[in-house]
Amino acid sequence: MGQERFSDVVERFTNGYASAAAAAQASPETIGQWQVELDRNLKRLQNLHAMLTSPVEPRTGQTPREEIYKKNKSRLYRYASPRTHRTPLLFVPNLGISRPYIFDLLPHGSFIEYMTGQGFDFYLLDWGVFGPEDNDLTVEHCVTRILPRMVREVLESSGAPELTVLGYCMGAPVAASFLGSHPEVPVRNFINMAGPIDFTKVGLFGLWLAKDRFNVDRFVDTLGAIPADLVKAGFKLIKPTMDLSTSLNLWWNLWNDKYLEGFQALNKWANDYVAFPGEFFRQWVRDYYQENRLYRGELVMGGRRVDLKTITCPVFVVGAKEDYIAPPECVRALVDAVGSRDREYVELPGGHISLIAGRGAAVHCWPKVAGWLASRS
Amino acid sequence: MAETPATNQLFELWKRQFEEGTQAWTRLLGQQAPQAPAIDPAAFWRPVLNQGLETWARLFAQTPASPEMLTQWKQFLDQWIDAWSRALGQTMGTEQFARLINQQLDAMLTAQAPLKKAFDQQVEQALQTFNLPSRAQLTGVARQIVELEDRIERMEDTLGAVLRRLEAREPR
Repeated sequence: MGQERFSDVVERFTNGYASAAAAAQASPETIGQWQVELDRNLKRLQNLHAMLTSPVEPRTGQTPREEIYKKNKSRLYRYASPRTHRTPLLFVPNLGISRPYIFDLLPHGSFIEYMTGQGFDFYLLDWGVFGPEDNDLTVEHCVTRILPRMVREVLESSGAPELTVLGYCMGAPVAASFLGSHPEVPVRNFINMAGPIDFTKVGLFGLWLAKDRFNVDRFVDTLGAIPADLVKAGFKLIKPTMDLSTSLNLWWNLWNDKYLEGFQALNKWANDYVAFPGEFFRQWVRDYYQENRLYRGELVMGGRRVDLKTITCPVFVVGAKEDYIAPPECVRALVDAVGSRDREYVELPGGHISLIAGRGAAVHCWPKVAGWLASRS
Repeated sequence: MAETPATNQLFELWKRQFEEGTQAWTRLLGQQAPQAPAIDPAAFWRPVLNQGLETWARLFAQTPASPEMLTQWKQFLDQWIDAWSRALGQTMGTEQFARLINQQLDAMLTAQAPLKKAFDQQVEQALQTFNLPSRAQLTGVARQIVELEDRIERMEDTLGAVLRRLEAREPR
């Protein structure tokens, strides 16, 4: 092969091509397919032009809601629902990092819309966007001051004696810390969706934030708050090819208006990062990532020890197979850590966001969560 | 996509040019192509190119040239990105990488800390000159409001608890 002339290879290629071209000429079906592809390419160019010259602001968060309570930057929203289940559901998302409109992204593509449609009385805790005046806010403050208040407001507003708590991502360990230190809270069910519990298995972030390498005190003392751009850099770094594959998929589906609508909404969210209050970040990294105190039962908040074994209500844990932010093994740990008899773990395809947004979530995740909860609400 | 004389002519022209170009380069390197085994400057990339062209030729020869090929191309790119992602993931999952990014962060903090301090001082002075409140003062006021809100909430909680206790004691 080494001595073969390159032109011979080209010749063989062109010969092959010629016979294929002849075959193509004979098949009207193939010509039709090429016509479709050509139309798609024209549509791609049209949509690209529209995207660049007159970008449309996606209308996210359209499910009707009312503000029930506000505390500093945090808000408690209640979403309109037919309410066929008695027990209200309090959704606790992550604090910092991103905004919670991902949970109500677009009509027919919204977790909140789905759950309210299933008859759940849905409450969302929006932690808010914190400023420099909130730099003293800690995880402990969220667990001992904000969450108890929000739970009380949910119970009062719904008139129910008990509630379900659903934590997503960082919201799950924060909610678990609350439930593990407040056994008197009338919680009927606890759901953890992609929330890390055993931080020794938390993957790349765990490795990068390890105590012997990452000096969180110096970080917070210098920066005050953790700026949104730095949070963004951290998340981009953990999956450096994400932007490339997103762009490729965008080009591939650019002819599809429906895809484009979803992409624009998701892309808006994916680039809308939120800063961390400094003291919150310090405690979050030190107590959870570096010392794994929640899982080890060594966390003390408001003078109370956080003991996951005191969580005895039914527990449902959902992990995502390709989750690189909260790998399934660190999420699954909750099942063994709680004292509940009724506990279940499911591992679904996709990544961290695939549980909460996108077609995969609507097919694989939401019906599972609603199904599990319906019989217990 | 039909075969036309113009397409064939174009390929012929390209082949001829490529062949002539290769021979010209070989002559330039002082070798006589037909006599001795020539230095092959393309030896490194030829197998790769060969393999690629062979694959494409096979693909074209076996199946009609349909848009399916674009789908296969997209799948190839997806796999390629996935392979890179895995490779980068493995690199980023090493102790060395973790140490490296923390060194970078450390360097950033070392550079940023004095700059930030100096900048804050300058801004503070400028605002003072114009008799304007500084960022620290505004943050202080906002912090006080947050604390006040917190205090009111605690009072509400206490009051609520007292009322509940009283209600429980009241004879019905």
